[in-house]
Amino acid sequence: MEAVRAHTTVVGRFKAMACPCEVIVDTADDRLGLRLVDVAEREARRIEEKFSRYIPGNALDRINRAEGKPFHVDEEMAQLLDFAARAFELSGGLFDVTSGVLRRAWKFDGSNAVPAPETVEKLRAFVGWRRAAWDGRTLKLEPGMELDLGGIAKEYAVDRAVALIAAESGAGVLVNFGGDIAAGGHRRNGAAWSVGIEQVDDAGKAAGVLQLKRGAVATSGDSKRFVTDGRRRYGHIIDPRTGWPVADAPRAVTVHAATCTEAGFLSTMGMLSGREAETFLRGAGEKFWVAR
Amino acid sequence: MGAIKNDDFKKKLTSAVCTLLGAVPAAQAAQAAEDAGKKWDIDAAVLYYQEADNRVSAIEPVISLRRGFSGNRALNVKFTLDALTGATPNGATPTNVPQTFTRPSGSDSYVVQPGETPLDDTFKDTRLAVNGSWQQPVGRLSLLTLGGNFSKEYDFLSVGGNALLARDFNDRNTTLTFGLALEQDSVDPVGGVPIPLASMAAAGTLQPRQGGSESKTVVDAMVGITQVLSPRTLTQVNYSLSQNSGYLNDPYKLLSVVDPVTGATVRNVYENRPDTRSKHALYWLMRHRLKRDVVSGDYRFFFDDWGVTSHTLGLNYRWQPSKKFWFEPLVRYYTQSEADFFRIQLVDGQPIPVEASADYRLTAFNGLTFGLKHGWMFANGHELILKLEYYTTQGDDSPSEAIGVQRGLDLYPNLKSTVVQVQYRF
Repeated sequence: MEAVRAHTTVVGRFKAMACPCEVIVDTADDRLGLRLVDVAEREARRIEEKFSRYIPGNALDRINRAEGKPFHVDEEMAQLLDFAARAFELSGGLFDVTSGVLRRAWKFDGSNAVPAPETVEKLRAFVGWRRAAWDGRTLKLEPGMELDLGGIAKEYAVDRAVALIAAESGAGVLVNFGGDIAAGGHRRNGAAWSVGIEQVDDAGKAAGVLQLKRGAVATSGDSKRFVTDGRRRYGHIIDPRTGWPVADAPRAVTVHAATCTEAGFLSTMGMLSGREAETFLRGAGEKFWVAR
Repeated sequence: MGAIKNDDFKKKLTSAVCTLLGAVPAAQAAQAAEDAGKKWDIDAAVLYYQEADNRVSAIEPVISLRRGFSGNRALNVKFTLDALTGATPNGATPTNVPQTFTRPSGSDSYVVQPGETPLDDTFKDTRLAVNGSWQQPVGRLSLLTLGGNFSKEYDFLSVGGNALLARDFNDRNTTLTFGLALEQDSVDPVGGVPIPLASMAAAGTLQPRQGGSESKTVVDAMVGITQVLSPRTLTQVNYSLSQNSGYLNDPYKLLSVVDPVTGATVRNVYENRPDTRSKHALYWLMRHRLKRDVVSGDYRFFFDDWGVTSHTLGLNYRWQPSKKFWFEPLVRYYTQSEADFFRIQLVDGQPIPVEASADYRLTAFNGLTFGLKHGWMFANGHELILKLEYYTTQGDDSPSEAIGVQRGLDLYPNLKSTVVQVQYRF
């Protein structure tokens, strides 16, 4: 962790969950600032270690290696799976934590590696939360299926960090884990935090500035990740129901909501809604920004 | 998917998120319980002070505790223990024959060799000081700190209280600070309070004492402004006024009364100072942050109604070559003029002034400090700080007032002292 004092705030930066993380604490007390950044960092690392799919032997990896056997999960994993189950239902199957397998066919590296339809079809056999047997305590995946909590964990970590900090101090904080952001506490001057919304095709330049006093924002989308067969460009958001990228998906969707988990779910849903993104997001009733 | 226009979707989503994050309070309660044990920030230090030529040495352990509470409130408690031993100049001038001085107790004496600065080696004391303060915001822009302090030595007791209000303005780029402190001291000198300007009596005989104890009141007021000039530069200006009244003498300090022709010491008398003192100080600090390093310069101008005027000029540089450690060299220059009633000695046969002191701290002198601090920051947030400081003073060794045998003797007891401190924060 690297922390500096910037005017009235202490700014801590570290790398976790494969992205740059930043925690800003509005305090005159350097040591309090450092302690709160530390709380956030430890939580980010804890969640990364437990739920990352790149760490052999962690809670997620053990589920993915159960090879069809029922697996008894701990309470926190159970809560995340409950959320995944409800998100799956709410989204009509669009938001699916078992869809990660499709990544084997779709390598979004800007090349023209559009997979053969048969390859996609084969992998589809391992996708679908409906195939998972989840009773609230024990999860049984069919052999070949894999769980990927990448679409939830980072937002969940942001919300957890804000809550843990609030338990320590009422100081105003802005937690930003790779663009998933939430504000907590109260700033001493009562002001909102200014959060820049990045324009996807012109990285670094803010397309808009959101005044975030409380609540969270999350962004989905990445203009650099696509494949093309020369005629069509396929963005990186895959519809788990078809195994193919969503047609006419926005380049990026940013949503403001009470919690980062909620904002993250809605922004992902915005992407998955393709050309209906705006319609869907208007229906959800939260503030949003769509880049096309 | 498209248009989901019913409220049901949003309600269900919020409920799902609440179920997930509802887990936080339970988990955080466990976390809070775990953290509760280490909510105190502890700062422990040991300072060692040594004056050259076997004069005073002191060892001072300090422990500071700080506990932060929600809403920017904090409690600070600091315990200091001082153990001093050694010898300190008693105010009498050196002369060419052995001198015998009565110890403050009146029952014993010590002898000082010809040509040597008379030092009272009775100096032994242990001081315990406790400071406490409570800090809390008042409204959105002000921070109030209320404090109390207590200090006890063998012959000295001090009790005080203080209040400090800091208010931010101008988007928090300006802070105005107001402070008020009150202190009540009582002195119970070993052997009683000497009668001012009375001659020191031989050990074992009737001592010139006027009572057992005396008291002193100190009222301090200060007003200050801190201004952020740029994201990297900050300046601070403080003015403080200190009103002292009561017993301001040093009961252990003497003056030599010398023969007007030979300069030989005829007798020694106890000092006497005015019973009030108004001190004014103006302090100016500039601090500039470079990329990682910080450079600070400060200047203090002081004057009082005793005729003492002083200037202090300090410069330090915090060099941070790595995230893990830093160095901070400092240099400080000090110069002061002498008090109106300062006398190297009194002359026998001449009228005795109402106020007179030969305390070397009230004469004109220059001081120079060189210091180096070195800090190590550990991965767990703990910090180790080592401090080394060397201080020397220079005064007039051969003042024009010297008479006869006093000429050629060193009449200003130069001070050379070293401070070593080890500090650990966790």
